[in-house]
Amino acid sequence: MKLKLPMRASTWSMVLLVAFGASLFSFNLPNSEVSTENESTYNSVKDEKKVESMPIYGNWKTYGKKDGLPSDKIYCVRVDGDRVWVGTNQGLAVLENSKWKVYSEADGLAHRSVLSIDISPITGDVWIATMSGLNRFSGGKFETFTQFNSGLANDVVYSVICDDKNVWVATGGGAGVLDTYTGKWGIYTEQNAPMHEPWTYNVCAGGGKIFIAAWGGGVIEWNKSTKQFRDYTDPDGEMEIDLFPDDGVVHDITTAVSYADGILWVSSYFGMSRYDGSHWKGYFDHDSGLAGNFINFLKANGPVAWICSDNGLSSFNGETWVTYKNLGNDKSGQVIIDGNSENERILKATTSISHNFIIGVDFKDKDLWVATSQGLSHGVVVGQTEIKTSKL
Amino acid sequence: MKNKISRLLSIVCIILFVTAHEADAQYKEKNYGNTPDKVVPYANFQNAYKKHFVEPMPFRGAGREKAAPTGLETVKIGFLAPLEGSKDVPKGQQMLQGATLAMEQANAKGGYKGTSFELLPHNDVGLWGAAANEVVAMDDEGVWAIIGSINDIVTHVAIRVALKLEIPIVNVGDPDPTLTETNIPWVMRVISDDRQSSYALANRIYVQDGLSRVSLLRVNNRYGRVGTGEFKDASTRMGHPVAVEIRFEDGDTDFSDQLNKIKTNNSEAVVLWGDAKELGLIINQMRKMGLNHPVYTCDRAVSPEFLKVTGGNANGIIATSQYNPKADNAKLHAFKKAYKARFNMEPDVFACHAYDGTNITIESIKKAGLNRALIRDVLLDLATFQNYDGVTGEIIFDATWNDVGQIFMVEIKDNDFNFSPVVYTDQKMKGSIK
Repeated sequence: MKLKLPMRASTWSMVLLVAFGASLFSFNLPNSEVSTENESTYNSVKDEKKVESMPIYGNWKTYGKKDGLPSDKIYCVRVDGDRVWVGTNQGLAVLENSKWKVYSEADGLAHRSVLSIDISPITGDVWIATMSGLNRFSGGKFETFTQFNSGLANDVVYSVICDDKNVWVATGGGAGVLDTYTGKWGIYTEQNAPMHEPWTYNVCAGGGKIFIAAWGGGVIEWNKSTKQFRDYTDPDGEMEIDLFPDDGVVHDITTAVSYADGILWVSSYFGMSRYDGSHWKGYFDHDSGLAGNFINFLKANGPVAWICSDNGLSSFNGETWVTYKNLGNDKSGQVIIDGNSENERILKATTSISHNFIIGVDFKDKDLWVATSQGLSHGVVVGQTEIKTSKL
Repeated sequence: MKNKISRLLSIVCIILFVTAHEADAQYKEKNYGNTPDKVVPYANFQNAYKKHFVEPMPFRGAGREKAAPTGLETVKIGFLAPLEGSKDVPKGQQMLQGATLAMEQANAKGGYKGTSFELLPHNDVGLWGAAANEVVAMDDEGVWAIIGSINDIVTHVAIRVALKLEIPIVNVGDPDPTLTETNIPWVMRVISDDRQSSYALANRIYVQDGLSRVSLLRVNNRYGRVGTGEFKDASTRMGHPVAVEIRFEDGDTDFSDQLNKIKTNNSEAVVLWGDAKELGLIINQMRKMGLNHPVYTCDRAVSPEFLKVTGGNANGIIATSQYNPKADNAKLHAFKKAYKARFNMEPDVFACHAYDGTNITIESIKKAGLNRALIRDVLLDLATFQNYDGVTGEIIFDATWNDVGQIFMVEIKDNDFNFSPVVYTDQKMKGSIK
């Protein structure tokens, strides 16, 4: 029998605390309440710190073809102020004033499969990575960059980010950067960067650096000040094993990188890695709360990384895991806190992400947008995990 | 009565368990990639924290619910191979012909529910990234699966795009071990890789022939680098690290610099890795310089071109092969006859594997229907095509859907290839599958 909870925030917080103490107990998450309890603080007790609590999302709503999106298969999502840009396998869509507008190849989109989107912080232009070229959407018009009319290394563009005036891309033929002031391109491949192969899959900026997820080459770091590359690879040098989980990236076939709060997060189809500048730590689905080892994408929001696996959406702040799963048989879901540990708690939810095969994620304030294999999901914060202590 | 029923149930359970265990036994590997105990990485020092590829990676995405389209004129299958502008065109043409024959035979038997299969050939030019665009084009054309390619660079790029677009790929000609070590649950390979060939070569050189000091001369490209990687690792783990590794450029005709180095380094044997023409030229120059070392080489030497270039110089050379073209196999005989009748030439290794791969693809489409995710499920269920009996022999898939079946040793005698199974006298050099 499901326990219906009252909707008041104070009561909800109290019940959550009870739930954390009783690991076998499960609840329905309320659909509209947001806990304001448990602000993050650090303990003054020597050798112990209080770990930041993690937001719990719920009140999920799903968007798909029936709502005006061009497809249910969503490759990426990018929040842009009050707008939400969505890349699908059948075109680009934007949600504005509660209405969807769709762009196709007929409008100037380079290809119907839109893999990545970013917004220029300087101009507000929208940069769109597609399976057949890169678009700039500016002033209501699309401009297309291909390997035949520009310095784009390859037309299959997996990832695009805007870093000040520069636009970085990860393509099937190398990484590239466009200086939007000069129009000049730079291309980085195994010829001029420490890559095993020129196949790149994702790019991010942070800490004065650019990080590239290089397929088979781990992570390539470009220092903007020194203009030097360095790479991070799996020290055991073997494809079929991870000898030690905490000695570097867990595998050289990397799929995404994200840098925030001084932490570099790296995903692969074999697990996830976290690097704090001194130490690496590896995570797998058998030894942590990670939903699945096959990770399509990840993105950090402050101290919390959002990990898009083939088996659910996980979030992690270095101490606490919160994983979201669709139960499959109806629209209900599960929130798993600290899965695979003795402190595992499973909460039932009446709403859920639309599918467990997660491909992309983005966020703004207390809103979370999730691109899945079958629909776009939107959730809001409905609670927090408890504060816990951790050995320093 | 109650006791009898419970005893009966127990016996049934035991039988079911044993049967299931045996049914799975051929792909539940002790070590990934049929790796012999002796050459498991770090095995003498440390157990790996995480072993990949021992269980198949599932595809958990949506797509299976998609209804099959109606009113199709043909059922399209993409094909990627070097067809123009590359030195590998002869290989690509053979591959295309093998696939074409399989398709024509399937269409003669009614195609897919009365609709013909159609092969859509695309050229792989061997350039970084070019294959990505070709796979996107195939997706736009509405293919249900893709067959290809030979070049390792091209194929790697292709499978990465196919993963995103969710198109099954059946590889029939790329022996790069790392191809199926990507955890992409959309790729099958029906030709044994260089990992298997390397283990067979290492076994022959160090165990069977009792040698210990080997020089490696390889082509300076990805095929040479990745292809010899497993051989070098195996040599080191068997206690015989490769004495020297020397490279040559693809297309080179003069190898005197490299061979002079080998002449002075006290090697007992030489391992060569490259394409047939360069391998043949190296052999000729070795013999001319008086270098009479035993020579071991890769499967690319098992070709008429190699024999033509070497003349009578190749006698005694040992190579590997992914199949036995002289096997007494009724299917192979029938295929060769049909191929000769259709194309007026003998099929090579690429034609044979393309024929098997295309037949597997067609069968999976017939079983699954017109839905890529369901086609993938049939292709990669490790049951439908496990132990597939093709013109190339029995195909055994591991958990990465890589062919880890029988490798053959090839000895050149009287300017002809003689095939025999690998002999294992040291059980620690024998993989767990066969």
